[in-house]
Amino acid sequence: MADISLQNISKSFGAVEVISGLSLDVHSGEFVVFLGPSGSGKSTVLRMIAGLESIDSGTLLIDGKVSQDLAPGQRNVAMVFQNYALYPHMTVRENMAFGLKNIRLAPDEIKRRVEEAAHVLEISALLDRKPAQLSGGQRQRVAIGRAIVKEPAALLFDEPLSNLDAALRVRTRVELAELHQRMKSTMIYVTHDQTEAMTLGDRIVILNNCKIEQIGTPLEVYNTPATKFVASFIGSPAMNFLSGTTSQGKTGANFVTSDGLTLETNIALSNFGAFELGIRPEAIRISDTADGLPAHVRVVERLGDRTLVYAVLPDGTQIVAQDSGRSGVQTGDKVHLTFDPSQVVLFDAEGKAHHS
Amino acid sequence: MIRDRKKEALVAFILILPFLSIYSLIFVYPTIDMFLLSFTDAPLIGKGEWVGLENYTRLPNDRRFDTAFWNTAYFVLLSVIPGTFVALAIALGISRLQGRLQAIVLALFFLPYILPVSVVYRLWDWTLNFQFGIAMHLFDLMGIDRVPIFKVTGWFMPAVAMVTVWWTSGFSILLFLAGLRSIPNEIYEAASLDNTNRWTLFRRITWPLLWPVTALVLTIQLILQLKIFDQVYLFSVGGRPNDNLVMVYYIYQRAFVSNDGGRAAAIAIVLFIIVIIVSVLNFQLMRFAEKRS
Repeated sequence: MADISLQNISKSFGAVEVISGLSLDVHSGEFVVFLGPSGSGKSTVLRMIAGLESIDSGTLLIDGKVSQDLAPGQRNVAMVFQNYALYPHMTVRENMAFGLKNIRLAPDEIKRRVEEAAHVLEISALLDRKPAQLSGGQRQRVAIGRAIVKEPAALLFDEPLSNLDAALRVRTRVELAELHQRMKSTMIYVTHDQTEAMTLGDRIVILNNCKIEQIGTPLEVYNTPATKFVASFIGSPAMNFLSGTTSQGKTGANFVTSDGLTLETNIALSNFGAFELGIRPEAIRISDTADGLPAHVRVVERLGDRTLVYAVLPDGTQIVAQDSGRSGVQTGDKVHLTFDPSQVVLFDAEGKAHHS
Repeated sequence: MIRDRKKEALVAFILILPFLSIYSLIFVYPTIDMFLLSFTDAPLIGKGEWVGLENYTRLPNDRRFDTAFWNTAYFVLLSVIPGTFVALAIALGISRLQGRLQAIVLALFFLPYILPVSVVYRLWDWTLNFQFGIAMHLFDLMGIDRVPIFKVTGWFMPAVAMVTVWWTSGFSILLFLAGLRSIPNEIYEAASLDNTNRWTLFRRITWPLLWPVTALVLTIQLILQLKIFDQVYLFSVGGRPNDNLVMVYYIYQRAFVSNDGGRAAAIAIVLFIIVIIVSVLNFQLMRFAEKRS
């Protein structure tokens, strides 16, 4: 179990710079998730830590040891690949033992480790089968088993659940969380699925366009997103955005919508001008009185425990509001929306967030 | 969807009819006819008398058949196994190259394969000719005595085997390269994280995963080389054809030189059976080895 430290790491593919000046500290025993859309560079960073991609400049420390020039096998990390990358001609036992034989570990020790890992992952009955005889979920476990028998400083996961069906994905997710709690090992996990990131990560690193947008705990990135990208990427349904302008108000900035309606916030701003207001669906209340923004209900989705109301403001902005499960709102209704002022976020022209 | 099975079968039959008729006319019919011919004393053209198994029973005591049989076996041994390994080694080398360089090097190795046998013969005759060959000048420079390679029985088969490997390995290289490309890169990445050194990587990952292609290459080579004729015929010109006999050459001699259609047919049937047995046996052995590994 070890710290991993990335210091000012850069990487180019030809003339295209894919990672520039990235710095990050992963603490020992921490579960860090790299979250981002495809092309955000998250897998590249993981592969650079593993040694599968070279690091052009910067320092990579694994357990305090300078590692950017070491071969993958010498970095003491293990990786679980998206397509599992099991050796198809070897049995499960041979797959798990292969790396241990290569470092000339004693046969008894190999046997002990393989059987222990198989026991933990509940694949003891499969040890003499070949990968082709296993289901997707079982292959996934073997891939994890092959990683943990090495007792590595860190376990790296590259979108490990994306090839599983929805039900199995949820189950495996819970099992991964349990595995982390039991092993207390350092884990770095790459995904584009925000639910996986929120449920698994101690901290989430959100990447976009090869840059870190925000690093924080799941609740931090949800409640106080640093940028508009983070705000729009995290949360389902996504945060609502209204465009307008700001001016100085009594308690903080006033936000004026393009329809000329003024919303008071308690966010202190130093500059005013064109801003976007962000508000999560659950922070919007549908009021029966005439205060708030007037809106026209287009679609009502009744999910049982809650109701999603898709409405349109007079200027055409689409808004999703969350109401109780027993909401009486009907399609076609004219309603008024009020926003919880403590949950309003303002984004400036650069996309930077301002919180109250 | 409801399908009219009868109509579908009819359409299918009409579609394969052209192939079926040509295949029957130029393969099935001649094969059966040759089989019948082998029980007669027919000349090359025309009918003969029924002689039963005589054409077959005289083969064990036929010295030239004996020579042809063992020469063929020797040639197969000298060309198939080295040819496969040479192709594998070259394919492994080419697969390490990138982009255009890889294409150029592959093209250079593949080039001999598209040459007609007569050109191959000319090239190697120029190279290894006792009087004018380039290789002989090299021998002179190094102080080695010149050898009339294609005129000495002991040198003949190894030399022809070497030329054949040079000529035909391009195709095997292509098959091996396709096999190497079908191994996912992630497997190699997983292996590199598993501390695999280069030799272990080849022995435990590449070679086992390439085994099906190796079996295919060996089988194709085996069938091809059992039917060796052209190279032996050309290189024997002016040499000792009777010492260098191979099976197909002997069939040719019997049919077209001695005008013994019946006896030639019998030898051809024997070769046909050998090819079937050897290739089936080879393929089964390969499958067995693959299962065991």
